[in-house]
Amino acid sequence: MKKVLSNDYLTLAFRFFLGIIFIYASLDKIAHPDQFARIVFNYHLLPGFLVNLCALILPMAEFIAGVCIITGTLYAGARNFLLIILVVFMVAIGVNVIRGVDLECGCFSVSSRAKSASLQLLFRDLIYLLIGLALVVSRSRRWMVDNFFLSRRAKV
Amino acid sequence: MKNWFVQLLVILIISTIAALAINSARGGGVAIIGDWPSGTRSGEGPVVPPSAEEGDPPFVTLEDAVAKYQSPDIIFIDSRDPEDFENGHIKRALNIPFEYLDEEWEVYIESLDHDLGYVVYCSGDECETSLHLGRYLYDFGFPHIYIFYGGWREWEDNGLPITTAESSGKGETR
Repeated sequence: MKKVLSNDYLTLAFRFFLGIIFIYASLDKIAHPDQFARIVFNYHLLPGFLVNLCALILPMAEFIAGVCIITGTLYAGARNFLLIILVVFMVAIGVNVIRGVDLECGCFSVSSRAKSASLQLLFRDLIYLLIGLALVVSRSRRWMVDNFFLSRRAKV
Repeated sequence: MKNWFVQLLVILIISTIAALAINSARGGGVAIIGDWPSGTRSGEGPVVPPSAEEGDPPFVTLEDAVAKYQSPDIIFIDSRDPEDFENGHIKRALNIPFEYLDEEWEVYIESLDHDLGYVVYCSGDECETSLHLGRYLYDFGFPHIYIFYGGWREWEDNGLPITTAESSGKGETR
């Protein structure tokens, strides 16, 4: 299994997949921080004064980590950041499913529509998390900017 | 310290600097420290969402809503999902679920009496459908629209008249 996951091409494909997903997801949030702040607020997990700060920094961190994971720059940090963020998202969604919060509007709701939308989000994040974990297992370090600097340092 | 952790910190520091720089460079960026409500209150002014704008229908307190509830010329409208409405709603309220509005609903809304007043509410925990439905009705030509943003939760917490799924099954209400 480790050998399969360490395949250079598979690792590169996973890096691109995860990186593009996070870059794509961050663009709209970076363009509309006010709307994303409302979404953060709807989770009812952060104190009010941290909502805007989180809405500003988190999408930018997603974007930069997405670029880093594709290019292989600060690779381990970017990969682990995306994993941590995915776990945080999943816990936040799970907590709100249990609390009965409709994440679309931030309302407390018993509707099955709201619950199934949240469960779909959870399932999607689980897939991303598995891909991220595959990158942790992979030993492949080809086509990474980090390698370029490491090899230069080794030569020096 | 682990190498990956240092890298992660570098990413976060770069992200913070970039995010704050872009926000300050952009005209109309958001305030860094947000002014978000910490929940519904009673006994103070009406609960008003941060997204309220000038020209919105007036927001009413729980006390105002209770006073209006006594009037035969005021109808309460619940803007939540039908499932939430069935589970429990303010007694005698109509259900117009904002997220389901379509042409059929427009016909129904058109048939409502324009001379009556309407108090719109939703779940109360910063749910915005009451605000959106209130605006929609206002734009539709209903002059007496009020938004009770404290909503279902504040009403229920204060032991006011409600109809729940169990009680409506037995034909009873609180």
